[in-house]
Amino acid sequence: MTALEARNITKLFPGVVALDSVDIAFESGRIHCIVGENGAGKSTLIKCLTGVYQPDDGEIFIGGRKCGPPGSAIFKKVAYVPQEIDLFPNMSVAENLFLPYTQSYFKGLISQRKIQDKAWPFLEKFGIKVAPDQLVKDIPISSQQLLQVARATVNEDYEALMLDEPTTSLTTDDSAVLFNIIKRIKADDKAVIFISHKLEEVFGLGDEITIMRNGEMVSHSRIDQMDSASVITQMTGRTIDQNEVFFARRAPGEKLLEVEHLTGARFTDVSFTLRAGEILGFYGLVGAGRTELMQAIFGHLAVYSGTVKLRGIPHKLGDTSHSVSQGLIYLPEERKKYGILPQLSIRENVSISVLDRISSIFGISPAKENALADEVIAAYDVKTPDSQKAIQFLSGGNQQKVIIGRAMICRPKVLVFDEPTKGIDVGTKTEIYRMMRKLAEEKDIGIILISSELEEVRRCSNRLLVLYDGRQAAEFEAQADKDEILRAVIGVKDSARKNMNSGDRWRKIQ
Amino acid sequence: MTAIGAVLLIMVILASVSSPYFIDEYNLKALIRDLAFIGMIGIGQALLLLIGELDLSVGKIASLCGVIAGMLMVTAGLNPYLSLALALALGVALGSINGLIITKLRLNSMVVTIGMAGVYGGVTLVLTKGKAVTNIPDVIHFLGKGNLGPLPIPFVFTLLVLTAVLFLTKKTKTGRYIYAIGNSKEAARILGIKVDRIRILNYAIMGLIASLAGILYVARLGSSQSSIGENWPMNSIAASVIGGVALTGGIGNPAGALIGAAIISVIQNMIVLLGVNVYWQSAVSGFVVVAAISFGSISAILRERKQRKIKIDVEVKKEKMEAE
Repeated sequence: MTALEARNITKLFPGVVALDSVDIAFESGRIHCIVGENGAGKSTLIKCLTGVYQPDDGEIFIGGRKCGPPGSAIFKKVAYVPQEIDLFPNMSVAENLFLPYTQSYFKGLISQRKIQDKAWPFLEKFGIKVAPDQLVKDIPISSQQLLQVARATVNEDYEALMLDEPTTSLTTDDSAVLFNIIKRIKADDKAVIFISHKLEEVFGLGDEITIMRNGEMVSHSRIDQMDSASVITQMTGRTIDQNEVFFARRAPGEKLLEVEHLTGARFTDVSFTLRAGEILGFYGLVGAGRTELMQAIFGHLAVYSGTVKLRGIPHKLGDTSHSVSQGLIYLPEERKKYGILPQLSIRENVSISVLDRISSIFGISPAKENALADEVIAAYDVKTPDSQKAIQFLSGGNQQKVIIGRAMICRPKVLVFDEPTKGIDVGTKTEIYRMMRKLAEEKDIGIILISSELEEVRRCSNRLLVLYDGRQAAEFEAQADKDEILRAVIGVKDSARKNMNSGDRWRKIQ
Repeated sequence: MTAIGAVLLIMVILASVSSPYFIDEYNLKALIRDLAFIGMIGIGQALLLLIGELDLSVGKIASLCGVIAGMLMVTAGLNPYLSLALALALGVALGSINGLIITKLRLNSMVVTIGMAGVYGGVTLVLTKGKAVTNIPDVIHFLGKGNLGPLPIPFVFTLLVLTAVLFLTKKTKTGRYIYAIGNSKEAARILGIKVDRIRILNYAIMGLIASLAGILYVARLGSSQSSIGENWPMNSIAASVIGGVALTGGIGNPAGALIGAAIISVIQNMIVLLGVNVYWQSAVSGFVVVAAISFGSISAILRERKQRKIKIDVEVKKEKMEAE
């Protein structure tokens, strides 16, 4: 029986077709895997199927009944486990399991003892080894992950269970527990939808596989008719368009950044060198430790051991102010939260890092400040009527341009771009790539590019480092083979070993 | 700012129409002398609100510094001006202690300053044993009671404080950093701003202003009392918020706090002049303060509703057209 079905759904975002006429059906008692690169449309599909987004076209059927608009009661029949932990940290395990108490188990007043008694069988069933009265923030991440699955299925009146990357924070043993649970749910004749980047899990668990790319469904077949190689080929596609490359075409200059054996909370023993005039890409799964590594080098997060040299001089860690004054600048991924000062004007956002330059004993000079802002607006092609507008009202791409402009007037030596094109439309993406290349080629700076989009790092990087679980998994030259990179990303060992000792390898390339 | 200035103007007009005693010179001078204190503290409080924090110990810092100044000149017989300078330095120190505890121990400003208010107030009681320090030397009485031309001296100090704080916030690097921190502490840190240093500086400035207000109040009364500044924490926050400084940080102009203080003072003055029942005074003044604070928020809610209605109308029209 078909538990959940999407017919011909299309979802448009400004400048992007996120989903293009997708037909997909999930059968009861089957585990259906969906794979695709970041940005392939998986999460948009999930959001349409769980009633978060309204598709622009097409229909969704749950248990054979046509669904109404987002938020309709029928979407409760799709149990969903999100990728990020989405629990109430300061409430007990039992409370998290049963909130919002709509199930018939509880009527009238809530007794803590009663919900804790009710919680035990669920905790046993899911192999969660914690007490129901413990606070969620005090239990291990793996237990939290399993608790999310338990919570989603606590109401047994669901048709389909959807799991989005459920194993990102689980160890192999925890994953095994989760897979047994998933198999039991399958045996209960529920449809299971499993989304993962880890192909070995997909092949170990799935019955069917759907591959998505650029918002389209590329293929759907039984899992035993596919192999790992063909899945990767179909996932990445061999599209010839969009093949413009953006890595710097010049000989690398002096060593700007030398990182040796750096270890912190989320990364272990990382070493690399960045030279002037090159773009060094960092690729890996979300949570592989790329952002944490860069924030630690920048001084925002703690370093446990290891050294960093900036232009040959040992760099003082743990002081962002020092890093900025020495020309090491980090452009954060969460632009809205950490990049912009939302309520301040474009002018104030631009000048904030160089106020000394435009001040005298009479204070900040408005004329000089305006000139500076206008200069950035012109040089980086920011689309705005004037520099007095609050930056929060600009589009994401224009905000990013202002941030790059601000970084550049500090005359940096090393620029770290953390997911610079996240949430930015295709046209502006290309503009930002060109900007990065120009900076590397002409301004003699070194650029580090963190990205979760394989195409992006491949097209923009002179060299490419892959992190897996906080460790250096491999290093590649520009335009390396996609399959090789993907294998390193999902932690396939032989490829990783072949590319180890990145330092030696780099010397050879030279 | 202009809107709240207009509100003040309307209130002043209403007050002068409804009571002939309002524009009386004596009444106005007394009013301005009163608002000088709340205004001054409010301007300091605005600096803290701009970084999303506040200081509830201002009243106790003021009374402790006032009492110390009094004891230094009366009991220890020090030069009055030296005593005042030492009391101001003490204010800076007490403010900095607040700031150090809040930043270094990563604590919430409200909780810490409630606690520290208890500490500072307790020390004042220990020092004075609850008695006022009287016989404050006449030479400093003019600081509290005197006039400079038409303006009461405390208000002149308020204007000086305002000028200095406006220069700091609008013209200097530090001021810009204060707004940046109020927008997002994390973003400010990533920009390389020494966030904690600026936060401590703001508490130190608040301490200095509180101490100045305390000293001027002592000069006005001619005695140091531990009860000085009881209402200052709440009134200064209300003055800032009425003046358009957001509690969440990053938005507002310290000058607004002075206008806010003026509004509060006019309300209180009117209540007295109109002969409102003594027992009702507090309720009425509280209600008017809440009304003044809601002013901006209510207009935002109305605007949002209007937009929603426009959007719904458009959708309905679209659906109708599609149906046809």
